[in-house]
Amino acid sequence: MAGATSDRERASTVRPTGSTALVWAGAGVALFALEAGALATFLTGMVADLFAFVPPLGPAQPAVATLAEWANAAQSAAREVPTLLSRETIPNGGYWNGRRWVGTFLGLEPALAWAVRVALVYGYAFACAGWAILGYRLYRREIRPTDWSPRDDVVDRFRSHTWGKFGLLVVFMFVVMAVFAPALGPTTVEQNMRESYSHEFSYWNSDAGEVQTTLVGQANLQSQSTGTSSRVMPFTYDDYNRYHPFGTLPTGRDLFTFIATGSRISLIIGVLSVGLSALLAASLALVAAYYRGRVDLGMVLLSDAVMAMPQLLLLIMLTQVLAETWIGGIYSGAFVLALIFAGTGWTYMWRSVRGPALQVAQRQWVDAARSFGQKPRVIMRRHMLPYITGYLLIYGSMTLGGAIIAIAGLSFLGLGVSPPTPEWGRAINLGQDYVTTGSWHISLIPGLLITIVVTGFNALGDGVRDAIDPQSDSAGGAAAGRGGGA
Amino acid sequence: MSDAEPLLAVEDLRTVFHTDREEIHAVDGVSFEIRAGETVGLVGESGSGKSVTARSILGLVDSPGAIEEGSIRYRGEELTDDSWDRHRGDIAIVFQDPGSALNPVYTVGNQIREALKIHQDLRGAAARDRAVELLEDVGIPDAATRVGEYPHQLSGGMQQRAVIAMALACDPDLLVCDEPTTALDVTIQAQILDLLAELQREEDLAILFITHDMGVIEDATDRVNVIYAGEVVERAPTDALFENPQHPYTRALLRSIPGRTPPDETLPTIEGEVPTPTGPATVCRFAPRCPDAFGACVEVHPDQQDVSEGGDDRSAACLLHDDRYPNEMGTGDGTDGGGPDERSVAAAAENTNYGAVDHGGAPPETGVAGDVNGQGAAGGVDDVGDEGGGEI
Repeated sequence: MAGATSDRERASTVRPTGSTALVWAGAGVALFALEAGALATFLTGMVADLFAFVPPLGPAQPAVATLAEWANAAQSAAREVPTLLSRETIPNGGYWNGRRWVGTFLGLEPALAWAVRVALVYGYAFACAGWAILGYRLYRREIRPTDWSPRDDVVDRFRSHTWGKFGLLVVFMFVVMAVFAPALGPTTVEQNMRESYSHEFSYWNSDAGEVQTTLVGQANLQSQSTGTSSRVMPFTYDDYNRYHPFGTLPTGRDLFTFIATGSRISLIIGVLSVGLSALLAASLALVAAYYRGRVDLGMVLLSDAVMAMPQLLLLIMLTQVLAETWIGGIYSGAFVLALIFAGTGWTYMWRSVRGPALQVAQRQWVDAARSFGQKPRVIMRRHMLPYITGYLLIYGSMTLGGAIIAIAGLSFLGLGVSPPTPEWGRAINLGQDYVTTGSWHISLIPGLLITIVVTGFNALGDGVRDAIDPQSDSAGGAAAGRGGGA
Repeated sequence: MSDAEPLLAVEDLRTVFHTDREEIHAVDGVSFEIRAGETVGLVGESGSGKSVTARSILGLVDSPGAIEEGSIRYRGEELTDDSWDRHRGDIAIVFQDPGSALNPVYTVGNQIREALKIHQDLRGAAARDRAVELLEDVGIPDAATRVGEYPHQLSGGMQQRAVIAMALACDPDLLVCDEPTTALDVTIQAQILDLLAELQREEDLAILFITHDMGVIEDATDRVNVIYAGEVVERAPTDALFENPQHPYTRALLRSIPGRTPPDETLPTIEGEVPTPTGPATVCRFAPRCPDAFGACVEVHPDQQDVSEGGDDRSAACLLHDDRYPNEMGTGDGTDGGGPDERSVAAAAENTNYGAVDHGGAPPETGVAGDVNGQGAAGGVDDVGDEGGGEI
C-alpha cells in the first residue's frame, strides 16, 4: 500500500511546477476537513479531562469549574460535526429483518460494512502519510534554498532499507490502530464492556422468525468463547447477528474492540515512558559530556545505583502504594506505570548516548562556541543535541518495544493497568485456560500482535541506526566505546 | 618591558593534565606578552604545548586539565573564571581545521549570526546583513549566497575564511590563530596569511600566531617565542631570530626548513621526539636531543638569559648563555677522544631521571661533564663561539 502511494507521488513530482505547493496545500486542507470534527472532539475532550483532573484548589475552583463546563460544551458541539470515519457515517451494527439488513451501511451485511470502515480508516491514514512524504519532497526540491543537507543522506539511506521500512509500516499501522481505535472496533468499549447492561440492541431471532431486542450483556453471555463447544471464532457472527473479526473473549465480549482500545494504552505508556526517559537521558548525557570530570562520575554512580534497583519489585511496590492516590487513578494507573518505566529506564538510554555525547563535546565547534562566549545551555542544545538525537531515536524505538512487552507482562500477571481498561496482556491472561481448547484464538491473536508490533519497533530502530550511521555494525560500537572511555 | 601596558601578558603559565597514570605538565612556565596591533608567533614541534597554551589563554582547558599557576592578564586585568566571561569575544580563536570548527548542521551565516547575537546584539535582517559584510571582508565572493550555505559546500580555504569571519563577528582585539594554515594547501595558506595581515592593518588586531612552520613564522610575525616541551626556550624579534638564533633548538629548527638547505643535501632533522613532561622541570628538557649539551645541562634547569643585541629584546633559556655554568668546552676534551654521541647524554639522563648521576664511581658532575664534552666539541658548540652568542 505504501509502495503504491510513493510510486504515484514520484510520478507526480517528476516535473514540479510553481503551483505544486498550492495543490499540495489544498490536498492537506481536504484531508484535514474529512476528520476536522474528530480532531476537535479529541482536543476539546482532552481539555475537558484536564480540567476534570485539576485538584480542587481553593480560590481558583469556581473559575476552573466554569472552564470545565465550557470545555464540555465545546466537546459536545464538536461531536456534532460529521466526520468521514465515524461509526455513525458507516455503521456496521444492524439486524436482519428476514429480508434484508437494517441499519447497516448501504444495507451491506455487518462484516462488509465493518471492512469498508476499516479500509477507509487505513486508506485515510496512508493518504495522510503520502501527503506528508510528498510535502517533504516538495520542500526538498523546490522550497529549500540548498540542494543538499546532511540529513538528506540519512533519509535516503533509510528509504533503501527494506527491514527498516517494514518496521515503519508495522509501527505506523499500530499507531493508526491506536489513534482510530473507537472507529475501528465493530462495537465500542462503552457499549460492549463497561455498560453492557444499559445498552439494548435488535437482532433477528431465527427460532422465532422475528426481530427481537435484548441487552448487550445478556447477548454476551450467550456469545462466550470458553472451550470447544461454545465459542465464537474469528471472522464469524454470533447468534445475535454481531460480527466478531477476532472472535470473542471468555466473557463474550468482542476481542477486536478490546485489542484496538488496548493498543492505545500500550502506545501511550510506551511513548510517555520512552519520551520521559529520552528527555532525562539526553539532558543528563549532555551535562555529563559538557562538564565531564566529577559531574560525569556522579552521574555514572547515580545511574549505577538506579540500575541496581530491582525494577520489577519496584514496579509492583509502587503500583500498590500509589493505587489509591490521585496520581494512581490517572488513566487507570497507566500514568504511574509510565513514570516508573521512565524513572528506571533512563539509565540504559543514558549509557548509550553518553558515549556519542562525549564525542561531540570534543568537537572543535563546541570549543569555538565556548570561545565566543555562548552559554553552556545553548551550546548543549544547539551544538551537541543534534548529534545524539539519532541515537535517542534508535534506542527510543528499541526501548518502546520493550515497554510494550513489559506492560503486557504486568497485565498478564494481574498487575499494572487496572481491569476494566483493555490491555493486550490481560487478553492473553484471560485466554490462557483455553489455549489447548477450541478457543485458542483468545491468547494467540494478542500474542501474535505483540510479537509483530515489537518486531516492528526493533526493525524501525535497526533501520534508523543503519541510516544514521552506515558503519554502525563495527565502527559504531567501537566509537561509542571510545567515547565512553574518554 | 614596554612603556605601554601590553594587551595580553602571560606570566609563568603552568597547565597540568592529571590523568590516571601521570601528571602531564603540558605548559610549564610559559611567559610572553602581546601588544596591541602586533603579531606574536609561538612556534614548536607537535606536542610542545602550543595548542594548550592557546586554550589556556581562552579559558578552554577542560578537566582533567587545569591551569595550576601563573597569570594571564588582559589589558592589565587578571583573567579568572569570572572575568573570562566578561572578555569573551575580546580574544577570539581560529582553529587549525576549519572543517571541524564549523558545525556541519548549521549554515555558515547561522553560525556567524550566533556570535553576532552574543557580541553585537544583532538579530534578524541586521544580523544577516552584518554576516554578509563580514564574509565580504574576509574575501568570500558572492557572500550573499554563501551566507546561506552549509560548511560542506565551501572549499577548505573558504571554510577557514568563514571561521575567521566568525571570529571577527566577536569584534576581537586579539586573534589567537592555532595553526590556521596547517590544514590548507600552500597557495591557500598564502592567501589566508595575506588576509590576516590585511585584517590586522584594518582592524588593528593583535595576533597570536601558533604554528610549527618556521616559514609561516618568518612571513607573518613580528616577534617569536620558541616553545619546547611546555617551556619557552627562546624569544626574540623575528628577524633577529632568523639571522642569529641563540638556542640550539632554534638553530636545529631553522636548519630543518626545506628551503634553507642546498637542494642536493639531505635535510637535517632533529633526532628523537619531544618528551612528554610528566613532572616539574629540573633539567634542560632539550638536553637529550641537543648537540651542544654539556654536563650541567642534565643537572640544572636553565633560566631565561638575556641575550639582547643592540635594541632587540630577546632571551634564551640555555646554559650556554649562563655565565654561572661555564661550558667547559676544551677542558676535558681529548680524554674521551671521539667520545660517545648525544645518546649517552640521553641514556645518562634517563638512567638518573635527571637527578644525581652515577657514573662509574666518579663524582657525578665531572663524570658526565667528561662524557659530554667530547661530544660537545664534535657537535655545534663551535658555532656558538663563532656567532658570539655565548659571550653575553
